[in-house]
Amino acid sequence: MNELFEIKELFETNEKGQACFSKGKDAFKEAQMAAEECLQFAFDVEEELFTEEEERSCYNCRYRRWTKASFTCQGRE
Amino acid sequence: MQNAEWKDENMKILIAIDDTDNMEKGRGTGHLAQELSEMIQEKGYGTCERITRHQLLIHEDIPYTSHNSSMCFMAQVRQEDLPQIIRLAQDFLEREHAPESDPGLCVAAMEGIKSPERLIDFGWSAKKTVLNKDLAYSMAQETGIHLSEHGGTGLGIVGALAGVGLRLSGNDGEFKGQIKIGQENDIYQVSEICEIGGADLVMGLDGTVLHGEEKVLFGRFRKLLLAEGKSVMLVAPLEEKKEGVAWVTCNKKQLRAFGDERIV
Repeated sequence: MNELFEIKELFETNEKGQACFSKGKDAFKEAQMAAEECLQFAFDVEEELFTEEEERSCYNCRYRRWTKASFTCQGRE
Repeated sequence: MQNAEWKDENMKILIAIDDTDNMEKGRGTGHLAQELSEMIQEKGYGTCERITRHQLLIHEDIPYTSHNSSMCFMAQVRQEDLPQIIRLAQDFLEREHAPESDPGLCVAAMEGIKSPERLIDFGWSAKKTVLNKDLAYSMAQETGIHLSEHGGTGLGIVGALAGVGLRLSGNDGEFKGQIKIGQENDIYQVSEICEIGGADLVMGLDGTVLHGEEKVLFGRFRKLLLAEGKSVMLVAPLEEKKEGVAWVTCNKKQLRAFGDERIV
């Protein structure tokens, strides 16, 4: 399985047509991998960063919107 | 709009704003709160304390613009300036909020809050349940504090009111920004963290309060939390003690988990 295929598998479309991260809020490695290859990634403001500062991760992205279990990605819509 | 009843001549007020940002601008509610606090000071209305961020409920029924967090700060002002301060904040929000946001403003004179425990309960409720504008206006009227909406649906009044309640509780939220000293991998004594860094105390995850001579290794995050009305640096035990250093600053995940555990 190549890396790009794995990253694609990290997101699934929910009932609202949104790209939902399938690994929840504790998959730090996968969130980093997805952000590394994402052209839309942009750091959120300082007070909203979820992991360590300067870490390129979907968890730190301006385009993620938290859900109860995970987040949806507005950059992938 | 719910008008406030002001009583004291020199008073501490809490100002909270919510739902002002959008993802394109990249300028969050915290940034606007910082600008507002600086304007209040520059105009000579009083002095402002640090801003706290309060996470509210993440729920699909709440159409938050980006994070559903509210920003609050305390200011010491003269009673006669209060109407101008509120006007200043209102004009600021109407001018600066993002087009797709639904901003709300809450201003409360601390000594004038009727039934403060009810307001605090409202804040905790906003972290657990879906609230609405009617409930917020009702609570503002009951507790005698200012609440106003400034664009869009105005739903941000719910978060703004909750932000004031949570700041008033003294047991919720992170202070905006990092502490004033040091960088990653630095080692500081607790006394230095308090005297220079702006913390009131340094505390372990289990509630242990560290002594002044104990040493802390700085990680990448060096945030202060609001706990028991104090600014607290939260630390975790180091797995391996090094050169007399037994503690390391908590990472973001640990801070958020600690915050979740505090929800009443």
